[in-house]
Amino acid sequence: MRERRRGRPISRAAAWALRLGLFAFCAFPLYWMVVSSLKVSHELLASPPTFWPHEWELRAYRKLFYETNFWTYFQNTVIVSALTTVIVLVAGVIGAYSLTRYAFRGRTFVARLTLLAYMFPPIIMLVPLFLLARQLGLVNSIPGLALTYISFSLPYALWILRAFFQSIPLELEHAALIDGANRAQALVYVVMPLALPGMIATAIFTFIVAWNDFLFALVLIGQDELKTLAIGINEFFHMAVVDWGLIMAAGVMVTIPALVFFIAVQRYLIAGWGAGGLKG
Amino acid sequence: MLAFTLFPVGYNVWLGFYAKHSLRATSTWVGLGNYAQMLGDPDFWRSAWLATVYAVGSTTLQILAGVAGALILHRRFVGCDFLRGVALFPYMIPTVIAVFVWRWLMNDLYGVIPYVLGTLHIPGMPEAWLTHATIMWVLIVLSVWTFFPFVLVNVLARLQTIPPELYDAARVDGASAVRQFFHVTLPQLRNVLLIVLLLRGIWMFTKFDVPWLLGFGGGAGEAIRTLPVFTYQRSFTYYQAGMGAALSNIMLALLLMAVTIYFIAFPPAEEEQDA
Repeated sequence: MRERRRGRPISRAAAWALRLGLFAFCAFPLYWMVVSSLKVSHELLASPPTFWPHEWELRAYRKLFYETNFWTYFQNTVIVSALTTVIVLVAGVIGAYSLTRYAFRGRTFVARLTLLAYMFPPIIMLVPLFLLARQLGLVNSIPGLALTYISFSLPYALWILRAFFQSIPLELEHAALIDGANRAQALVYVVMPLALPGMIATAIFTFIVAWNDFLFALVLIGQDELKTLAIGINEFFHMAVVDWGLIMAAGVMVTIPALVFFIAVQRYLIAGWGAGGLKG
Repeated sequence: MLAFTLFPVGYNVWLGFYAKHSLRATSTWVGLGNYAQMLGDPDFWRSAWLATVYAVGSTTLQILAGVAGALILHRRFVGCDFLRGVALFPYMIPTVIAVFVWRWLMNDLYGVIPYVLGTLHIPGMPEAWLTHATIMWVLIVLSVWTFFPFVLVNVLARLQTIPPELYDAARVDGASAVRQFFHVTLPQLRNVLLIVLLLRGIWMFTKFDVPWLLGFGGGAGEAIRTLPVFTYQRSFTYYQAGMGAALSNIMLALLLMAVTIYFIAFPPAEEEQDA
């Protein structure tokens, strides 16, 4: 973007005020979460609240790791998210490839159906997926939960990947096919390297769907040792006295990996956004 | 591949005609009984109304906040990349955490926002926010905070592709910044705003976790019992799976209507461009 119109001092000050406002709106809740997790108990509940704590302590974090099942929840969430991501990615690549490369009747219709699946709200699948999971004995099981996530993130992975595959020229593949490669080789050696940013973006968004889900974990998982973070942290509210320091500490511990991950993959996220890859 | 999605949907439509317990294996054909019962239930109408208020309120504000944010971040300035990252962050943190942070920020006794608002001495300002009368506002503000980055990203991406010549031409014609926004920027954003409106509207209308997590464990939960929360309760508090399925089907019908309108408004050729 070219730099235009330096502007009068007033309009420049106004621009900075707006930027500051946006910053405060986005960042203050996060700041408050961090600060609250580090306050001592009596200061946490003090009135008026202190914006910069007088005393700091790690009590809440100690309690989180030694007195709750936080670490179990964390591991469960990582396992279920990773499982979902790997399966969705493999199936999504094959599906999106056939969607963009083979001409078959009703291809446009299928493509529209995929868009419908992209916007499809999970709540609509709540009852049927729960009943199916029960009939198949997949209640209280991590693979069962992963299967549920796969069933509603696969169509939307197809939606993102389709856009990426469409942007790869057919001529490249034709060249490979003429050189004697078969379809599978053309896919693995020609198409996939070019679609790599799209595949990474898809992996990230699928991971986020599984990582963030609350509804299906709530319905399908009852055993404490199988709980994911979303429903596990929710349990902290059922303690006799709600420990806000503990809840904020859990929030920080869940947010830090997300933040690190987010910074590491930001480049690919932007590629994915271009293809309509956000949901929620 | 799509059978994955289509089968549960078909099963759901079929379930809607049965009176089925969520845990037991029995089911009885009741035809349109579930729908008849639903339409006669004032709680259904109330939850549909609350879902509408929530969807319209939060979607409108998200779009306003998202467009404003995108305009603020469009031009480059010192710290621009940093602020772009910060602005996306609310969308990246898990919903559960976002809701709990806001429950803490708005806590009736210890919350920092009620405290700050209290010091301003605005007449008619409530002291406690997580109450029947005001919890819907908290729900909307919290949802705007969490989801406006979705709008921001999409609008910003589109803003970056508007040719600068259009603005040069407008300036030569003597158009003010405000006129430039309404006559150059807004028409260019039309398509992206329409699809964002459709997606966010659908997703907010069917949002379960945010109202449920904000409302449970407090007396005011009833004031934000939107249609998805009502559906969940029918299915898993009262174990009326058939009724839950019927309620989901109502949401599905509304979704299909919205999508049909979208496809009529955007013929496929245009859709390919936007995708």
